[in-house]
Amino acid sequence: MTRSGEFGEDGGGDDILAAEYVVGALSVEERREVAARIERDPVFARLIERWEVNLSPIQDGFAPVEPPASVKRALDERLFAATAAAAAASSSRGGFWNSLAVWRSLAAAAVLAVAVLAARPYLVETPQPQASRLVASLAPRESDVHYFVVYDARTADIGLSHVTGERQGGRDFELWVIENGQSPASLGIIPAGSTVHLAVDQALREKIGQGAVFAISLEPQGGSPTGQPTGPVVAAGDLRDI
Amino acid sequence: MTPHDITKLIVRTSMKDRGAFDLLYRQTSAKLFGVCLRILRDRAEAEEALQEVYVKIWTKADRFAVSDLSPISWLVAIARNHAIDRIRSRKVAAADLDEAADVVDPRPGPEALALAGSERVRIFQCMETLEKDRADAVRGAYLTGESYAELAERFGVPLNTMRTWLRRSLLKLRDCLEA
Repeated sequence: MTRSGEFGEDGGGDDILAAEYVVGALSVEERREVAARIERDPVFARLIERWEVNLSPIQDGFAPVEPPASVKRALDERLFAATAAAAAASSSRGGFWNSLAVWRSLAAAAVLAVAVLAARPYLVETPQPQASRLVASLAPRESDVHYFVVYDARTADIGLSHVTGERQGGRDFELWVIENGQSPASLGIIPAGSTVHLAVDQALREKIGQGAVFAISLEPQGGSPTGQPTGPVVAAGDLRDI
Repeated sequence: MTPHDITKLIVRTSMKDRGAFDLLYRQTSAKLFGVCLRILRDRAEAEEALQEVYVKIWTKADRFAVSDLSPISWLVAIARNHAIDRIRSRKVAAADLDEAADVVDPRPGPEALALAGSERVRIFQCMETLEKDRADAVRGAYLTGESYAELAERFGVPLNTMRTWLRRSLLKLRDCLEA
């Protein structure tokens, strides 16, 4: 940033710049600079996020006003006139929902080994360079446990949004990654909360790529004692590029 | 709609579920339109901005998974940032400045405080530790998208003084929130 000296003088540095951005007082050029930095600097992006959280109660000061119906009509036209073509293109790519359907139909016992093989033919044809963000919907398997996952390869961070399903008393959800034909590798216990994060060890990062499968098993408190899943798989899904 | 329901709608929207997106719009568009209107102070422009905000929500809903914000706060943050970017890139007429000064104080009443979680109350308690005009400057910037230049004019102080004020206030808020 250009005025780092000034920021230093106030003793705030990046954190105060983040606060100024969130509060909204910066000029158009400054906002543009900061917005670009949020995209490329995950540490700075976390500072922004913390200020957004801290100041968010002030949002109560925004009174709701019903927008006219014409806005939604214009919005639909803008979004979905173009997406009809895009949807046709993506369905020809195949994969995701087909392989999810396959997943669901599999017997629970054989699920981990078999599903990867079953999902394989549906996966995207050509190997692609490691995408920086992958998503997976971990759909319920004989449970009501549903998580939505975003993996950010740049920051080696897994973000999990809890959609439905509670852990049973005294037990933990453990997240696993399964590469083609390999045995599951633990990514850790999923902390309680509606939005949580797991950091990924260096050794595990290479296992997480497009087509790998994430699965959640129900384990004793503190995680599987054996290093492999011991409880039932309650949710699973494959990773796809976005 | 509970926050949990809104979360579900956002997650389903990220999977391009149009039904979920329509429902999300129905549940949240009044709040987000309120945000756009408050900051842009022009109905036609706010309507245009609201469309752009929901285009962003449709395309970036997956990012919610990595956010610590509550679902409605996450949506409001998108709308606020978009409206502020918009107003910042247009020249502000002098007449608008007077309206901007008309800031409704969003401090919640006692019932709201009793209902709210302690973390939500915290920011309001911390705002109380600031001098009144400095707290007003923070709220003014946050709720109406006033820039440093506009705030400086409203409070009749030089731009650099305004910057120093606001930064010190924000640092003080941070210290209070972390204490």
